[in-house]
Amino acid sequence: MYMMKMLKAIGSGALRSVKAYKGVIVIWFFYMILVSMLTIQTKGALKTGFGKSMITELLQDGINIEVFSDLDTRLESLFSSFSSGFLLVVVIGILMNAFLSGGLFNSLKGSKGNLTVSEFFRSSARYFWSFLGVTILVSLMMIILGLFLIGLPFGIVFGGDSGSGPSSFILLLCVVIIYLIVLIILLLVADYSRAWLVAKEKSSCFKALGYGFSTTFKFFLSSFPMMLLLMIVIILFTWVTLRLVSLWNPGTGAGALLLFIVSQLLFFGKLFLKAWRYGSVTALMEIHPAKPVKEGKV
Amino acid sequence: MAALPLNSQVINREPLSSRITGYTFDVKLDTAARMVKGTLEAFWVNFTSEDVPDIRLHMYMNAFRSSNSTSYRESGGSAGKKAIDRGWIDIISFTDRSGNDLMPLAQYISPDDGNPDDSTVLRVILPDAAKPGDTVFINVEFETKLPSRIRRTGYTDDFYFVGQWFPKFGVYEPAGMRERLQSGWNCHQFHNNSEFYSNHSVYDVKITLPKDYVVGTGGMLINETVPDAEGNKTLTFRAEDIVDFAWTAWPGYAVYTDKWEHVNITLLLPGVRVEQVGRQFAAVKNALEYLTENVGPFPWPHLTFVDPPTKGSGAGGMEYTTLFTSMSADRMPDFLHLPEMVTVHEFGHAYFMGILATNEFEEPWMDEGINSFWEARIIDHYWGENSGLIDHPLLKVADKSYSRLIYVRSDKKQLASNNEYSWNYPRGTYGMMSYQKATTWLYTLMGIVGEETTNEIFREYYKRWAFRHPCGKDFIEVVNDVVTKIHGDKFGPDMNWFFDQVLYGTGICDYKVNNFRNRRLSSEDRDKIERDSLSGITESDSAGTDSDNDDLLYRAVVQVERGGEVMLPVDVLVHFENSDEVTETWDGKSRYKDFTYEGRGKVEWVKIDPDYKLRMDVNFINNSMTDDPDRVPIRNLINKIQMAIEFYISIITL
Repeated sequence: MYMMKMLKAIGSGALRSVKAYKGVIVIWFFYMILVSMLTIQTKGALKTGFGKSMITELLQDGINIEVFSDLDTRLESLFSSFSSGFLLVVVIGILMNAFLSGGLFNSLKGSKGNLTVSEFFRSSARYFWSFLGVTILVSLMMIILGLFLIGLPFGIVFGGDSGSGPSSFILLLCVVIIYLIVLIILLLVADYSRAWLVAKEKSSCFKALGYGFSTTFKFFLSSFPMMLLLMIVIILFTWVTLRLVSLWNPGTGAGALLLFIVSQLLFFGKLFLKAWRYGSVTALMEIHPAKPVKEGKV
Repeated sequence: MAALPLNSQVINREPLSSRITGYTFDVKLDTAARMVKGTLEAFWVNFTSEDVPDIRLHMYMNAFRSSNSTSYRESGGSAGKKAIDRGWIDIISFTDRSGNDLMPLAQYISPDDGNPDDSTVLRVILPDAAKPGDTVFINVEFETKLPSRIRRTGYTDDFYFVGQWFPKFGVYEPAGMRERLQSGWNCHQFHNNSEFYSNHSVYDVKITLPKDYVVGTGGMLINETVPDAEGNKTLTFRAEDIVDFAWTAWPGYAVYTDKWEHVNITLLLPGVRVEQVGRQFAAVKNALEYLTENVGPFPWPHLTFVDPPTKGSGAGGMEYTTLFTSMSADRMPDFLHLPEMVTVHEFGHAYFMGILATNEFEEPWMDEGINSFWEARIIDHYWGENSGLIDHPLLKVADKSYSRLIYVRSDKKQLASNNEYSWNYPRGTYGMMSYQKATTWLYTLMGIVGEETTNEIFREYYKRWAFRHPCGKDFIEVVNDVVTKIHGDKFGPDMNWFFDQVLYGTGICDYKVNNFRNRRLSSEDRDKIERDSLSGITESDSAGTDSDNDDLLYRAVVQVERGGEVMLPVDVLVHFENSDEVTETWDGKSRYKDFTYEGRGKVEWVKIDPDYKLRMDVNFINNSMTDDPDRVPIRNLINKIQMAIEFYISIITL
């Protein structure tokens, strides 16, 4: 029965994400614009740094530390502006994702199907603060649990004299596996919370998190395997994509353009898989018998 | 088993060195007190033609006695608050062969810095001055307490690395040796950055310790007793013609053996690192092969190396000729060649300081610099010219690149020359100067004279100076002899101009293309060029040939510049629009140099040092110029960064 529910939710999630393609395109577009603001500036700085030099031929096969180190002070200022720009882009990215996810989740719920762009942005705005709250709270839980589950054992093992040996390795492997399981559970909590906010048209992130936790554990046997399966697919896709692109070094301008197009298509694929995950969790929530939620109490 | 006579041959058929000194030990490792206790019988032969009134002994372990020792003053470290943390060496009794008590005649001195709190050099006035040909025998009963914070030597838990642990003779240098003006002992204090300069010696070492300890030494195992009633065993080792004797003991070692030609190799490492055994043996065998082929033979039939456990990592990266320590971690990715690099480097010291016994205190570049040069060559030769250190699809780093960028990016590279005593380098420059700068200019030398000439230089250096004490001038003399023998006066009567700049000077090297201009010629100019070419006369620096009429339209001027103080001969490659190429040879002396071409067409691009042979050049970016730079690699990189950041944000935003 759990398996059937899971498969049904995954299938429905895939269908919903296809229907919500406009939302995925909007998200991809915003991501591309946001990150381009950083990369275009970086490209300009590199072009200036290398000037009319032919040294870039040594970069044909990838990063060459000698070439970059010869940028000297230019590299330092490039690194400094890139670091601050990167932080800014990440912060904006978090806000942007909290904003756009509202629209995406709304596109994925029930028989809603594809929203118009204006409907998409309207629901994005409506759920922004609650989605941001869920994102921040769940991220904090991940970080704090990470410190306890990973940081503490690693610190003890490497801080002491017993840092070597198979038992230490097995211990550390175990804590990493436990932490990965915890991460999947917390992702489920975040997804259920956001799906519930949109389904019930609520705005309290705390209530949503309460629902997220209770639903995750109540329907654990169908939710966890589903999320595990989806995450394996997403991680595999990400790994293959990054490896493929990192090894591809076209030698012509047309090749570089093709690399850009393919890399952006692959990123679109990554966003599509994320929408699939959101859609599957939403579908699973709708498959489960509805639980009455009283005002002021989860 | 009775001690073997020091003048006998056990390991090699013939002595490799003149054996000015020799040592016989009978010591016990006291694991409760963290001490090595025992006796030493040693000799020093006065091979000079003059009377020598005293002897000098290194008492290195006293560097760990107090935080005021010269070594700790230099490093800023601490010897530790508790007595158990500190290290020291105490002499219980000290006599000569006649039984004369030498204790009243001994006093600690600090010849390098006058530090009264440093007791790492002991001077002993001999009851009778040693006449030419005399042998001075000493009998010493001593206790060496090992420090708990392993820095080259010491213990952690049940791991021991015992180095610099016994009273060791300095080197008596007669006038003329190593450019020395007056005869005297060369016996420096223990410094933060240097400790090696000794005569090649014979060692007979008897070590008693608990039976469960696995022992590695620079000697050959001669005998091992069965454990006694107290559970102790006694191991007897013999080492010949090495400059120092160190040993390690730890119950956790796994022992592996292998063989390369005549050399029996023993590897000691933690059992958990068994998957790295193949990597370690491959590294040491490659180094043996490369150095044997390009420098000279490794003359000993035995070699032991150690990969210390994590808790003993302070003992990693040390060299005692036939014993050396590598460095690794329990999990070491295949793409990261750190263990290989350390193994190759430390083994290389068997040649550069072990066989060619230079003075690390006074000329550290001859020890660490030359050795790092060979390390980089070996690593890049066997593990990838561009990926010797790191070989990952996303990042490849050559060993030689690492050396160069440490040197060229240092803002202290002009604070001192490369010819300082190790402790005289300005703070924060010793490593960069002794290792990386020397490596970089040795690569530059190789770029100028060629790889095979460089190998021939080192073969000759080995031939002339193996098991002796060469100094910098001796090395330069070898370079001058070999280069002029192979290349005649192509580089001048000698190569002193090179060493004056890179070794004794503080200048930097920076050649750059300033600009190039293509100017359309007037019809009168073109007529003149045509007339000149018909009559075999040309105004251009390089004669124009096979030019079509379009090419006649241009006068191209290339200007190159010497930005740094260092002047080296350098090639300039000029590429024309019609695909013609001209390689100019510039002596690199003037500040600016123009190359003018008429009738060859437009210059498309220019490269100085197109093969990047002058690795001292602090900026390769300005070595070339084109009007149409290739931006594709930058675009590729930016595309990848764009996607990576997009993925990253998508992942962290749940």
